[in-house]
Amino acid sequence: MSCTIAVKYWNEISEGDSVTPITMDVPFERVILDAAATQDYFPGHHNPAYARHQGQKEIYLNTMAIEGFIDRVATDWAGPHTFIRKRQMQMRSSIYAGDTLKGEGTVEKCYENDGRNLVDIRINISTESGLCVPAALTLELPADRPS
Amino acid sequence: MNDTFNEPFPLAYGTYEDAVKLLNKPGKKVVAEFSVNWEMIKIYCSMVEDGNASYWDEAYANKQWGGIVAPSGLLLTWPMALQWHPHKEREHYFIAMKIPLPGDTLINVATDTEFHRHLYLGDRVSVVDELINVSEEKKTRLGVGHFLTTKAQFFNQREQLIAEQTNSLFRYYVVEGES
Repeated sequence: MSCTIAVKYWNEISEGDSVTPITMDVPFERVILDAAATQDYFPGHHNPAYARHQGQKEIYLNTMAIEGFIDRVATDWAGPHTFIRKRQMQMRSSIYAGDTLKGEGTVEKCYENDGRNLVDIRINISTESGLCVPAALTLELPADRPS
Repeated sequence: MNDTFNEPFPLAYGTYEDAVKLLNKPGKKVVAEFSVNWEMIKIYCSMVEDGNASYWDEAYANKQWGGIVAPSGLLLTWPMALQWHPHKEREHYFIAMKIPLPGDTLINVATDTEFHRHLYLGDRVSVVDELINVSEEKKTRLGVGHFLTTKAQFFNQREQLIAEQTNSLFRYYVVEGES
Protein backbone atom coordinates (compact mmCIF):
# COMPACT_ATOMS: atom_id res chain seq x y z
CA MET A 1 0.00 0.00 0.00
CA SER A 2 1.40 3.41 -0.87
CA CYS A 3 0.84 6.55 1.17
CA THR A 4 0.47 10.04 -0.23
CA ILE A 5 1.73 12.50 2.34
CA ALA A 6 1.34 16.24 1.96
CA VAL A 7 4.28 18.51 2.67
CA LYS A 8 3.70 22.06 3.85
CA TYR A 9 6.14 24.89 4.44
CA TRP A 10 5.75 27.54 7.10
CA ASN A 11 5.22 30.42 4.68
CA GLU A 12 2.39 28.50 2.98
CA ILE A 13 0.32 28.23 6.17
CA SER A 14 -2.12 30.85 7.44
CA GLU A 15 -4.08 31.30 10.62
CA GLY A 16 -7.52 29.74 10.24
CA ASP A 17 -6.34 27.01 7.86
CA SER A 18 -7.99 23.64 8.44
CA VAL A 19 -5.93 20.62 9.39
CA THR A 20 -7.05 17.69 7.25
CA PRO A 21 -9.36 15.39 9.27
CA ILE A 22 -8.47 11.73 9.80
CA THR A 23 -10.64 8.88 11.07
CA MET A 24 -9.53 5.54 12.50
CA ASP A 25 -11.52 2.60 13.86
CA VAL A 26 -10.62 1.29 17.30
CA PRO A 27 -11.48 -2.43 17.37
CA PHE A 28 -10.45 -4.51 20.42
CA GLU A 29 -7.43 -5.64 18.43
CA ARG A 30 -6.07 -2.08 18.27
CA VAL A 31 -6.48 -1.54 22.03
CA ILE A 32 -4.55 -4.75 22.70
CA LEU A 33 -1.93 -3.78 20.11
CA ASP A 34 -1.69 -0.44 21.92
CA ALA A 35 -0.82 -2.15 25.23
CA ALA A 36 1.81 -4.29 23.52
CA ALA A 37 3.27 -1.53 21.33
CA THR A 38 3.67 0.88 24.24
CA GLN A 39 4.56 -1.75 26.88
CA ASP A 40 1.77 -0.28 28.99
CA TYR A 41 -0.01 -3.19 30.63
CA PHE A 42 -2.15 -1.13 32.97
CA PRO A 43 -5.19 -3.44 33.13
CA GLY A 44 -7.71 -0.80 32.01
CA HIS A 45 -6.15 -1.23 28.55
CA HIS A 46 -6.57 -5.01 28.26
CA ASN A 47 -8.87 -6.34 31.02
CA PRO A 48 -12.59 -5.55 30.55
CA ALA A 49 -13.45 -6.52 34.15
CA TYR A 50 -10.83 -4.14 35.50
CA ALA A 51 -12.01 -1.36 33.19
CA ARG A 52 -15.55 -1.79 34.50
CA HIS A 53 -14.21 -1.77 38.08
CA GLN A 54 -12.79 1.67 37.23
CA GLY A 55 -16.21 2.90 36.17
CA GLN A 56 -15.33 2.60 32.46
CA LYS A 57 -17.65 0.90 30.00
CA GLU A 58 -14.92 -1.01 28.16
CA ILE A 59 -11.13 -1.29 27.78
CA TYR A 60 -9.74 1.96 26.41
CA LEU A 61 -6.74 3.43 24.58
CA ASN A 62 -3.85 4.73 26.65
CA THR A 63 -2.35 8.20 26.50
CA MET A 64 0.50 7.14 24.18
CA ALA A 65 -1.90 5.83 21.53
CA ILE A 66 -3.86 9.08 21.61
CA GLU A 67 -0.62 11.06 21.41
CA GLY A 68 0.37 9.02 18.37
CA PHE A 69 -2.96 9.72 16.67
CA ILE A 70 -2.79 13.45 17.48
CA ASP A 71 0.76 13.62 16.11
CA ARG A 72 -0.32 11.74 13.01
CA VAL A 73 -3.12 14.24 12.36
CA ALA A 74 -0.51 17.01 12.56
CA THR A 75 2.22 15.40 10.48
CA ASP A 76 -0.02 13.83 7.82
CA TRP A 77 -1.18 17.41 7.22
CA ALA A 78 2.14 19.30 7.58
CA GLY A 79 4.51 16.59 6.38
CA PRO A 80 7.27 14.36 7.75
CA HIS A 81 9.67 17.33 7.99
CA THR A 82 7.64 18.57 11.01
CA PHE A 83 9.28 18.70 14.43
CA ILE A 84 6.65 18.65 17.17
CA ARG A 85 7.93 21.16 19.72
CA LYS A 86 5.05 21.01 22.16
CA ARG A 87 1.90 18.99 22.75
CA GLN A 88 -0.73 19.72 25.39
CA MET A 89 -3.69 17.38 25.74
CA GLN A 90 -6.60 16.84 28.10
CA MET A 91 -8.28 13.46 28.46
CA ARG A 92 -11.89 14.51 28.98
CA SER A 93 -13.33 11.09 28.28
CA SER A 94 -11.92 7.70 27.37
CA ILE A 95 -11.71 6.20 23.88
CA TYR A 96 -13.11 2.69 24.05
CA ALA A 97 -12.76 -0.48 22.05
CA GLY A 98 -15.52 -0.25 19.45
CA ASP A 99 -15.23 3.53 18.97
CA THR A 100 -14.21 5.36 15.80
CA LEU A 101 -11.70 8.17 16.28
CA LYS A 102 -11.83 11.41 14.38
CA GLY A 103 -9.06 13.99 14.51
CA GLU A 104 -9.49 17.45 13.05
CA GLY A 105 -7.91 20.80 13.66
CA THR A 106 -7.28 24.44 12.86
CA VAL A 107 -4.22 26.67 12.60
CA GLU A 108 -4.25 29.22 15.41
CA LYS A 109 -0.99 31.11 14.94
CA CYS A 110 2.07 31.30 12.68
CA TYR A 111 5.12 33.05 14.15
CA GLU A 112 8.89 33.10 14.52
CA ASN A 113 10.67 32.58 17.81
CA ASP A 114 14.42 32.15 18.43
CA GLY A 115 14.97 31.71 14.70
CA ARG A 116 12.37 28.93 14.52
CA ASN A 117 9.37 28.94 12.21
CA LEU A 118 6.48 27.83 14.37
CA VAL A 119 2.81 27.01 13.87
CA ASP A 120 0.33 26.58 16.72
CA ILE A 121 -2.54 24.27 15.87
CA ARG A 122 -5.53 23.03 17.84
CA ILE A 123 -6.55 19.41 17.28
CA ASN A 124 -9.74 17.86 18.63
CA ILE A 125 -10.05 14.10 18.96
CA SER A 126 -13.63 12.92 19.11
CA THR A 127 -15.70 9.75 18.85
CA GLU A 128 -19.37 9.06 18.24
CA SER A 129 -19.90 10.23 21.85
CA GLY A 130 -18.41 13.68 21.21
CA LEU A 131 -15.18 15.48 22.03
CA CYS A 132 -12.77 13.26 24.00
CA VAL A 133 -9.33 14.87 23.81
CA PRO A 134 -8.67 18.51 22.94
CA ALA A 135 -5.02 19.17 22.15
CA ALA A 136 -2.78 22.11 21.31
CA LEU A 137 0.46 21.60 19.40
CA THR A 138 3.38 23.77 18.39
CA LEU A 139 5.00 22.59 15.17
CA GLU A 140 8.37 23.66 13.78
CA LEU A 141 8.59 23.66 9.99
CA PRO A 142 11.07 24.68 7.31
CA ALA A 143 10.30 28.24 6.20
CA ASP A 144 10.28 27.96 2.41
CA ARG A 145 9.79 25.32 -0.22
CA PRO A 146 13.18 24.57 -1.81
CA SER A 147 13.44 26.18 -5.21
CA MET B 1 -17.51 -13.97 30.88
CA ASN B 2 -16.22 -13.97 34.43
CA ASP B 3 -16.50 -10.34 35.53
CA THR B 4 -13.53 -10.35 37.90
CA PHE B 5 -9.87 -9.60 37.56
CA ASN B 6 -7.07 -11.64 39.07
CA GLU B 7 -5.38 -9.04 41.22
CA PRO B 8 -5.48 -5.27 41.67
CA PHE B 9 -2.93 -3.11 39.92
CA PRO B 10 -0.02 -2.70 42.34
CA LEU B 11 -0.03 0.80 43.82
CA ALA B 12 1.31 2.31 47.03
CA TYR B 13 -1.40 2.89 49.63
CA GLY B 14 -1.58 5.54 52.32
CA THR B 15 -3.16 8.82 53.26
CA TYR B 16 -3.21 12.26 51.70
CA GLU B 17 -0.77 13.35 54.42
CA ASP B 18 1.60 10.54 53.39
CA ALA B 19 1.45 11.76 49.79
CA VAL B 20 2.14 15.39 50.70
CA LYS B 21 5.39 14.31 52.36
CA LEU B 22 6.66 13.17 48.94
CA LEU B 23 6.14 16.51 47.20
CA ASN B 24 9.13 17.93 45.32
CA LYS B 25 11.38 14.97 46.00
CA PRO B 26 12.76 13.62 42.70
CA GLY B 27 12.76 9.86 42.35
CA LYS B 28 15.84 7.91 41.32
CA LYS B 29 16.88 8.17 37.70
CA VAL B 30 15.68 5.16 35.71
CA VAL B 31 17.66 3.97 32.69
CA ALA B 32 15.72 2.15 29.97
CA GLU B 33 16.20 -1.60 29.77
CA PHE B 34 16.52 -1.48 26.01
CA SER B 35 17.59 1.09 23.45
CA VAL B 36 15.46 2.94 20.91
CA ASN B 37 14.86 0.41 18.16
CA TRP B 38 13.23 0.34 14.77
CA GLU B 39 11.14 -2.75 15.51
CA MET B 40 9.21 -1.06 18.33
CA ILE B 41 8.89 2.13 16.29
CA LYS B 42 7.27 0.16 13.45
CA ILE B 43 4.90 -1.68 15.79
CA TYR B 44 3.80 1.62 17.36
CA CYS B 45 3.36 3.32 13.99
CA SER B 46 1.34 0.39 12.70
CA MET B 47 -0.92 0.74 15.76
CA VAL B 48 -1.81 4.34 14.86
CA GLU B 49 -1.39 3.80 11.09
CA ASP B 50 1.27 6.50 10.88
CA GLY B 51 3.14 6.34 7.57
CA ASN B 52 5.47 9.26 8.40
CA ALA B 53 8.64 8.72 6.33
CA SER B 54 10.77 9.87 9.30
CA TYR B 55 9.91 6.52 10.94
CA TRP B 56 9.82 4.20 7.93
CA ASP B 57 12.10 5.47 5.14
CA GLU B 58 15.80 5.34 5.97
CA ALA B 59 16.88 7.41 2.96
CA TYR B 60 14.37 10.16 3.76
CA ALA B 61 15.14 10.13 7.51
CA ASN B 62 18.89 10.25 6.91
CA LYS B 63 18.49 13.29 4.70
CA GLN B 64 15.96 15.09 6.91
CA TRP B 65 17.11 14.23 10.44
CA GLY B 66 20.37 12.31 10.16
CA GLY B 67 18.70 8.95 10.79
CA ILE B 68 15.46 7.19 11.67
CA VAL B 69 13.85 8.99 14.62
CA ALA B 70 11.41 7.77 17.24
CA PRO B 71 7.82 9.02 17.27
CA SER B 72 7.26 11.52 20.09
CA GLY B 73 4.39 9.42 21.41
CA LEU B 74 6.76 6.56 22.25
CA LEU B 75 8.66 8.67 24.77
CA LEU B 76 7.08 7.05 27.84
CA THR B 77 7.55 3.55 26.47
CA TRP B 78 11.33 3.38 26.35
CA PRO B 79 11.86 3.30 30.16
CA MET B 80 8.92 0.96 30.86
CA ALA B 81 9.89 -1.96 33.09
CA LEU B 82 9.77 -5.44 31.61
CA GLN B 83 6.89 -7.62 32.81
CA TRP B 84 9.46 -10.02 34.26
CA HIS B 85 13.22 -9.95 34.71
CA PRO B 86 15.45 -12.69 36.13
CA HIS B 87 17.37 -10.33 38.40
CA LYS B 88 15.02 -7.44 39.19
CA GLU B 89 11.71 -6.97 40.91
CA ARG B 90 9.19 -5.33 38.60
CA GLU B 91 8.92 -1.68 39.53
CA HIS B 92 6.96 1.20 38.04
CA TYR B 93 9.18 4.00 36.91
CA PHE B 94 6.34 6.56 37.12
CA ILE B 95 6.55 8.12 40.54
CA ALA B 96 2.78 8.64 40.36
CA MET B 97 2.31 4.88 40.89
CA LYS B 98 4.40 5.00 44.08
CA ILE B 99 2.53 7.80 45.84
CA PRO B 100 0.69 6.46 48.91
CA LEU B 101 -3.03 7.33 48.64
CA PRO B 102 -6.34 5.55 49.31
CA GLY B 103 -7.47 5.12 45.67
CA ASP B 104 -7.14 1.64 44.17
CA THR B 105 -7.06 2.79 40.55
CA LEU B 106 -6.20 5.77 38.38
CA ILE B 107 -6.90 7.51 35.10
CA ASN B 108 -4.76 9.97 33.20
CA VAL B 109 -6.18 13.51 32.96
CA ALA B 110 -3.75 15.76 31.11
CA THR B 111 -0.28 15.58 29.58
CA ASP B 112 1.86 18.49 28.46
CA THR B 113 5.17 17.71 26.75
CA GLU B 114 7.88 19.95 25.36
CA PHE B 115 10.35 18.30 23.01
CA HIS B 116 13.92 19.54 22.67
CA ARG B 117 15.49 16.99 20.32
CA HIS B 118 14.77 13.72 18.57
CA LEU B 119 15.56 10.24 19.82
CA TYR B 120 17.49 8.13 17.30
CA LEU B 121 17.95 4.39 16.84
CA GLY B 122 20.39 3.12 19.47
CA ASP B 123 19.75 5.92 21.95
CA ARG B 124 19.22 4.88 25.56
CA VAL B 125 16.64 6.91 27.46
CA SER B 126 16.77 7.79 31.13
CA VAL B 127 14.09 9.57 33.11
CA VAL B 128 13.70 11.26 36.46
CA ASP B 129 10.38 12.49 37.78
CA GLU B 130 8.89 14.07 40.87
CA LEU B 131 5.51 14.82 42.41
CA ILE B 132 4.80 18.55 42.21
CA ASN B 133 1.19 18.70 43.35
CA VAL B 134 -1.41 16.57 45.09
CA SER B 135 -4.95 17.83 45.57
CA GLU B 136 -7.12 17.40 48.56
CA GLU B 137 -9.88 14.81 48.17
CA LYS B 138 -12.19 15.49 45.21
CA LYS B 139 -15.31 13.78 43.92
CA THR B 140 -15.74 13.31 40.16
CA ARG B 141 -18.10 11.31 37.97
CA LEU B 142 -15.64 8.38 38.22
CA GLY B 143 -15.14 8.34 41.95
CA VAL B 144 -13.45 9.91 44.95
CA GLY B 145 -9.75 10.60 45.07
CA HIS B 146 -6.85 12.94 44.53
CA PHE B 147 -5.35 14.64 41.48
CA LEU B 148 -1.59 14.12 41.20
CA THR B 149 0.68 16.27 39.07
CA THR B 150 4.16 15.04 38.24
CA LYS B 151 7.02 16.50 36.25
CA ALA B 152 9.49 14.31 34.33
CA GLN B 153 12.67 14.97 32.39
CA PHE B 154 13.85 12.53 29.73
CA PHE B 155 17.50 12.31 28.62
CA ASN B 156 19.51 10.37 26.06
CA GLN B 157 22.73 8.50 26.90
CA ARG B 158 24.73 11.72 26.35
CA GLU B 159 22.67 13.40 29.09
CA GLN B 160 21.08 15.67 26.52
CA LEU B 161 17.56 16.73 27.48
CA ILE B 162 15.07 15.11 25.09
CA ALA B 163 11.78 16.25 26.58
CA GLU B 164 10.06 17.61 29.67
CA GLN B 165 6.62 16.43 30.62
CA THR B 166 4.03 17.55 33.14
CA ASN B 167 1.32 14.98 33.76
CA SER B 168 -1.88 15.01 35.79
CA LEU B 169 -3.82 11.92 36.78
CA PHE B 170 -6.71 11.09 39.08
CA ARG B 171 -6.04 8.45 41.71
CA TYR B 172 -9.42 7.30 42.97
CA TYR B 173 -11.78 4.61 44.18
CA VAL B 174 -15.29 4.00 42.93
CA VAL B 175 -17.92 4.69 45.55
CA GLU B 176 -20.09 1.62 46.08
CA GLY B 177 -23.47 2.03 44.41
CA GLU B 178 -22.39 4.99 42.29
CA SER B 179 -20.47 3.21 39.51
